[in-house]
Amino acid sequence: MMGKLIAYRLALVLPQLALVSLLVFFLTYLVPGSPAAAILGAGATPESLAQVESDLGLDQPFAERLVDWFGAALTGDLGLSYSNSLPVSDLIAERLPATLSLVGGGLVFAGVFGILLGVLAALRPGPLDRAINGVTSLGLAIPEFWFGLILSLVFAVQLGWVPVVAYTPLVEDPAAWFTGMILPSVALGAPAAAMVARQTRGAMAKSLRAPYIDNLTAVGVPRTRVVVRYALKNAMIPVLASTGLTLRILIGASFVVETVFAVPGLGELLLHSVIGKDFPVVQGAVLVVAVLVIGVNLVLDVGYGLLDPKVRPQ
Amino acid sequence: MKSSKNSTKPKALALASVAAVMVLAGCSGNAASQDKSTSGTLAANWGGFPESWAPGAEMEAGYMRVPYENLVALDGQGEITPMLATKWEQTDKALTLTLREGVTFHDGTPFDADAVKVNLESIRDGKTAYAGPLKVIESVDAVDAHTVRLNLSEPSPSLITQLSTRGAPMGSPKAIKAGTIAQTPVGTGPWAYDAKSSTKGTRMTFEYYDGYWGGADSVGFQTVELYAIPEDNAATGALATGEISLTDTETTQFSRIESNASLKHLSYPAIRNNPMFFDRGEGGAFEDVRVRQAACYALNTEEIAKLEPDFKVRSQHFSEGEPGYNPDVTGYTHDLAKAEALMAEAGNPEVEVEMIAAPFNEKQMQVYAEQLGKIGIKVSVQPAAPPQYFSQWNSGRYGLGLGSNDELTPYDWYQAWFAEEAPGNPAHVESAELKKAADAAIAAGASDEADALWQDVTKIISDEALTCAHVAGEELIAWNTKVVTDVKPSTQPWETNAIDYKALRPAGK
Repeated sequence: MMGKLIAYRLALVLPQLALVSLLVFFLTYLVPGSPAAAILGAGATPESLAQVESDLGLDQPFAERLVDWFGAALTGDLGLSYSNSLPVSDLIAERLPATLSLVGGGLVFAGVFGILLGVLAALRPGPLDRAINGVTSLGLAIPEFWFGLILSLVFAVQLGWVPVVAYTPLVEDPAAWFTGMILPSVALGAPAAAMVARQTRGAMAKSLRAPYIDNLTAVGVPRTRVVVRYALKNAMIPVLASTGLTLRILIGASFVVETVFAVPGLGELLLHSVIGKDFPVVQGAVLVVAVLVIGVNLVLDVGYGLLDPKVRPQ
Repeated sequence: MKSSKNSTKPKALALASVAAVMVLAGCSGNAASQDKSTSGTLAANWGGFPESWAPGAEMEAGYMRVPYENLVALDGQGEITPMLATKWEQTDKALTLTLREGVTFHDGTPFDADAVKVNLESIRDGKTAYAGPLKVIESVDAVDAHTVRLNLSEPSPSLITQLSTRGAPMGSPKAIKAGTIAQTPVGTGPWAYDAKSSTKGTRMTFEYYDGYWGGADSVGFQTVELYAIPEDNAATGALATGEISLTDTETTQFSRIESNASLKHLSYPAIRNNPMFFDRGEGGAFEDVRVRQAACYALNTEEIAKLEPDFKVRSQHFSEGEPGYNPDVTGYTHDLAKAEALMAEAGNPEVEVEMIAAPFNEKQMQVYAEQLGKIGIKVSVQPAAPPQYFSQWNSGRYGLGLGSNDELTPYDWYQAWFAEEAPGNPAHVESAELKKAADAAIAAGASDEADALWQDVTKIISDEALTCAHVAGEELIAWNTKVVTDVKPSTQPWETNAIDYKALRPAGK
C-alpha cells in the first residue's frame, strides 16, 4: 500500500516540475525589454544590443530556446548567469544553505512553539486558552518584516545578545550560525507558529473529547501518556497535512526576512536577478524552490499516509 | 550599558563581572567593535555586492575602489591627477599615457602597457555597461612597457575623464583572461581580496597588499571588510553596535543616527535627474520647441525638489567649476502664464504622452504629470516593474522620460542624449545649430577654447528646452566615530558610495 502511495506521488513530481519550468520560462519570455539592455545600460547602441543578444542566444526562436534550456536542465545544467557568466547551479548552491537554514529554523520554531501552545490551550480551557488565543491572533497579524526589525532592534542593537548581521555558514562556525539564526527564525516562524497553534488546539480539543480517551483514563493509563501517546498523535494528522502549506508560506516570507537580517539566501539572488533581467538565474532559482516545495510535499504525503491509513490508495 | 547595570550589585560581583568581561574581550569574538577599532579593520556596507567585479561591469564606487585603481583620478577642483598613469598627452588622434613604474597587481602580475591594453579592450569589446564611451578608442598600442598609446577614431577630450571613473578600473590581465575576475577582484589598490576570510554573500574581506606601490603609510586600515546589508534599519543597527563602521544610508535613518552620540553622517551631491523630451521627431508631441519650453515653465522644480529631503534645484546639468557649466544658463523658473502663452503661440496643440515609471520614481513622475496637466499636456504614467522600466524608459516608445544623467563632461552628456545618433535620442533629431556648435567643440579637442565652445552647447540645449527641471540628490554616509575617523567623500564627483578610503583612520590613532 505504502509503495503504491510513494509511486503514485513520485509519478506526479516530474509533470509538476515540467509545468513550473515551462511557466517560468514563458513568463520571463513575456517580460518586455531585452536583458541586453539591462546589461549594457542606458548608453547601449543598437549594434551593441544586437551583439549581446546574439552572444546570449536571445535572437533564437522561443521554441528553440525553450528546448535547449529544458534539455540542459534535465541534465542538471541550469545555464550561465547573464551578469557574471557563472554557472547558475553554483550561484544557487552558494545561496541555498542560507535559505535552508532560515526556512528550517522557522519551521522548527513554528513546530515546537505552535504545538506547545496548541496543546496547552486545549488542555487548559479558560484564562490560559484565551491568553494563547490572543497571542496567536497577534502572531497571525504581525508582518514578518516589521517583527524582524523589532526583534533586531531589541535583541541585537539594544541588548547585544545576537549579531545584527545574522548569517555565518554552519560549516564556518556552528555556534555563530546557531546564534545568528535565532532571531530570523523567530521572525519568520512566528506567524506560522500561530497557525500551527490554532490547528493543534482545535485538533487536540477534538481528540481529547473522543470516547477512547475516557476509556484509557478509566483503565488507569497515566494522563501524560494519554495526552502525548494517543491524543497528540491523532491531533497531529491534520497539523501535518497542512505543513506543506506552512512551508510554502515560510519560503515566501523568508525572502522578506532575509532582507532584515542580511541573510544571503535565494530571495536576494532572485530579487537581483529579476531587476537585472538575469533570466537563467530566475529560472534556475524558481525551479529549485519548486523542487524544494514539491519534495517536502512528497515526504509529507508519505508521512501522512503512514499516520493515516485512510489516505493510502486502495 | 552592562557596567551601569552591574553598579547596583555587590562589589565582589561587580569585580568578578569586570574580570570576566576583560577575559572575554581578550579572547572572544563577541567584542567585535573593540577588536575592530584596535586591529584596524574597517567594515563598510553599501547594500549589495556587485554581480560582477570585471572591469567595466556596473560596480558601486564603494566596492570598486577598494581593490581597484584607475589610470587617473579627478581632484576636488575637477582637475585630472596622476594615479596609475603619471603623465599623459592628448592630441585629436591619440591619448598617450606614461605609466607608473613598480606597480604590481595583487596576483603579482606587473602593471604595464600590455595590462592597460587588455583592460581597455576587454571593457570596450565586452558585455559591459561602460563599453560605449571607450568605443572611440580604435586601437591600443603598447609603445614600451610603461607607455601606452590609445589611437582615437575622433577627437575625444573627455576620454581622459572617462578613464578616472568607475567604468575604467585596472584589473589583472591574467584574471581577466582567465575569466575569474568577475568573482575574484584583482587590482592594484591598497587592499587585496582574501577569499579565505570572506563569507560568500555576507562579507568580503580585503587585506592590505604588501606590494602596494603607495606604501603602508598611505592608508589607515590594515583590513577592509565589505558588507551587503540592503535594509537601512538593519544597517543602522549594525552601525550602532559597531558590527559595521560605515554605511550608506537614507534620510529616514537620521533620527536614529543623530540620537546616538557615536554616530555621525555626511552628505554630498551624487545623483542627478531631469525629464527628457524623447518624442521630438517630425509630428511628435514635443517637436515644437515652444511646447517644450512651455513644459519647462510649467514644471515647478522647487515643488519637485520637495519630494526628497536631499533634492536640490539646479539650473543646468553641470555645476560651477565643471567643464560645460555656463553661468548664462539660468534654467526655467516656474511661470504658468508664460507656459500658457507659449502653448497658445504654438496653437494649443493636443499633447498626450505616456511616461513609464518604476516604483522608485513613480511619485516624481506623477508630479510631472500633474504639473504638465495644468497647461493641457496630458501625461499618463504607466507603472512598471524595474526590469521593464530599465529596458523601456528611453526606448522611444514613451514620449517623456526621467533621465539619471551621470555624465561628467559636456562631450559625454551630448553624445549620450542629444547627438543625432545618441542612445538617449530615440527620435534621432538634432537642430543644425546644436550640431554646428557641438562639432566645433569636438573639433577643438583639448584646446583652451574647447570649454567656451562646450558652454555654447550647454546654452543651446537649454534654449531648445531639450531637457530642464534639473534636480540633484545627495548620497548620505553614516559612520561610527568609535571605529573610524577622517571620513570624507571621494574627490571623484557624481559617484554614489564614493568614500576616500585612503584618508580613513582607525579611531584613537
